[in-house]
Amino acid sequence: MKKFLSLALILVLTLSLFSVAFAEEYRVAYIARAQADSFAAWLANAVKEEAEKYPDITVDIFDGQANDETENSLIENAITNKYDCIIIQPNNGEAQRPYAEKVVAAGIICITTNARIDGIEGASSVDADPYEQAAVNARYALDKVPEGATAVILRGPAGNFHADERLKAWKAEFFDKRPDVTIVGDDYANWNKDEAMALMEDWVTANEKPIGLIASMNDNMCAGALEVIKDNPDYKDVLSFGVDGTAEACLLIEEGRMTATCLQNAYELAELLLDTSHKLLTGEETQIDTDVGNPLYTIDNVAELREIHVKAGALQ
Amino acid sequence: MQAKQSKANLWETIKSKYAIFLVLVVLFVICSLLNSNFLTWGNLTNISRQISVTTILAFGETILIISGLLDLSSGSVMAFAGTLSVMCYKAMGEGTGAMLVSILVAIAIAMFCNALNALMVTTFKAPAFIVTLAMQTMARGAALLLTAGQNVYQIGNYTVLGQGSVWIIPIPILFMIFFFLVTRYILSDTRFGRSLYAIGGNEAAANASGIAVNKVKTAAYLVNGVMVGMAAVLFMSRVNAGLPNGCIGYETEALTTAIIGGTSFTGGIGTAGGTIIGAFIVGFLNNIMNLTSVNSYLQQIIKGAIIALAVIYDIYAKSRRTRKKMGNIEDKAAKK
Repeated sequence: MKKFLSLALILVLTLSLFSVAFAEEYRVAYIARAQADSFAAWLANAVKEEAEKYPDITVDIFDGQANDETENSLIENAITNKYDCIIIQPNNGEAQRPYAEKVVAAGIICITTNARIDGIEGASSVDADPYEQAAVNARYALDKVPEGATAVILRGPAGNFHADERLKAWKAEFFDKRPDVTIVGDDYANWNKDEAMALMEDWVTANEKPIGLIASMNDNMCAGALEVIKDNPDYKDVLSFGVDGTAEACLLIEEGRMTATCLQNAYELAELLLDTSHKLLTGEETQIDTDVGNPLYTIDNVAELREIHVKAGALQ
Repeated sequence: MQAKQSKANLWETIKSKYAIFLVLVVLFVICSLLNSNFLTWGNLTNISRQISVTTILAFGETILIISGLLDLSSGSVMAFAGTLSVMCYKAMGEGTGAMLVSILVAIAIAMFCNALNALMVTTFKAPAFIVTLAMQTMARGAALLLTAGQNVYQIGNYTVLGQGSVWIIPIPILFMIFFFLVTRYILSDTRFGRSLYAIGGNEAAANASGIAVNKVKTAAYLVNGVMVGMAAVLFMSRVNAGLPNGCIGYETEALTTAIIGGTSFTGGIGTAGGTIIGAFIVGFLNNIMNLTSVNSYLQQIIKGAIIALAVIYDIYAKSRRTRKKMGNIEDKAAKK
């Protein structure tokens, strides 16, 4: 009996060892644009969380530090380390393009995200459309901004794909259609709240007539501009728009101080990224190009945005 | 003839001692003529409020540069100390006690970072440039790690210091004036201040004359830490959030302010008055370029050109002073 039990135990142990050795475990490298960028950090955290739902996938996060050279080196290192899949969140699409092509050439699955790098044969992509993110705001503003109003534009960093596309949307979808609206301030606040505050303080001083519209390329800058005018009674009717759907934007919309934001949902992006990775790694699909939605949140549906942030632990 | 010479000497004195003040006055007049909104109480308080945080940092940099040091980590340390301070305030459930503790937390963190800088500079003789660059990376990393890269919102009455006013004067301006007076006192009226100039002028000579060089350098970093900590509180309070990715490039702005204000990058020269004037020059320039809608690319070129001119002027003035001194020595030798 003892012999039989020992044999059975040895057999079970051997089989379990074999099953561990032969189970497919995929290694995914996620090259983030910059962990210092709050949206990029949110997305990286969401990817890490989502990966826990996939027992056959491990994700390693790398920080591109908003530097093309650093990001390109990280991609090269990931190729050398023979990852099964490399997800690239570019700092600058064109700078990372040759390195994404190298990933494909090395026979490694390549996914570009936020923003996608178009036209790489063999690569897949998961993205939110930056033009559409601002366009939903601009279309909403079209009949809300009063006749003859003045407007200010808060831009993201020069040359940044998302910043440029969002600005393009505001120009095409709003300013071209509303020539009666005068732009009295247009400058780069580089996604930063404090830079937006300084610009808004100067614009408020420079314009006797209260500014009617704040078209901001992200929520952070919009919040900065609103901070300046929060106690100013002349600005109680100002309309303000941002992109990202941050927790702060959610609070400002609830308070009635911000008009609308378009959510760039990091959780949805992360879900799609992991789903896409898994399908490509298991051979279920060979190429996927997909987008998340661009939901607009205003005072009417801000409760849904709050729910997302409560789930994330950003709001109580 | 003598009257003419004394007039010329007076002009020379004004030029060498108050040149930067004259620049400020001329700029003020030009700005007032360029835009009617410039010379309003609201705009002038705006400018002062906008420059207050970087000016406080610049006072710390002035003290360091005079003694031949510098701090490239102040922006990142501000982000780290400020975010931690905001988190502490929220955790303590707001109130005056919480505010005091969170201010102390910010100052303590900034002093700790600066104490590490001082330790590396004095004990291991590592260059301040490299040491503070390393601290810049570490402090930013710590701030991001602490918050997982996310901003801290709903900070309640923490905003009072950055957004409130005493009568009609915004509180950050009062802090700027306070730190101006402290820096002025340190540099003009204390032995520590004189030691800073001596070390920056000639470290070997200062050492030979009995000045405890390492102690003075450590104290300079600690004083800088206090200013960085307070600047961190004012910044987070002004933006109504704990921003772990905030204050990027603030160290450069502070250095620029100090240099435009006449602080010599080679050490031994600089004043608190010069730094505050430098801050207003930068503030007036930024403000008038925004008020008159100057293209933002052009703004960068103009600011860069002014920094270059300030440094060239500094080198020119210094070489003139040296030539004059040498001339005096030669004259005296010839007379003998």
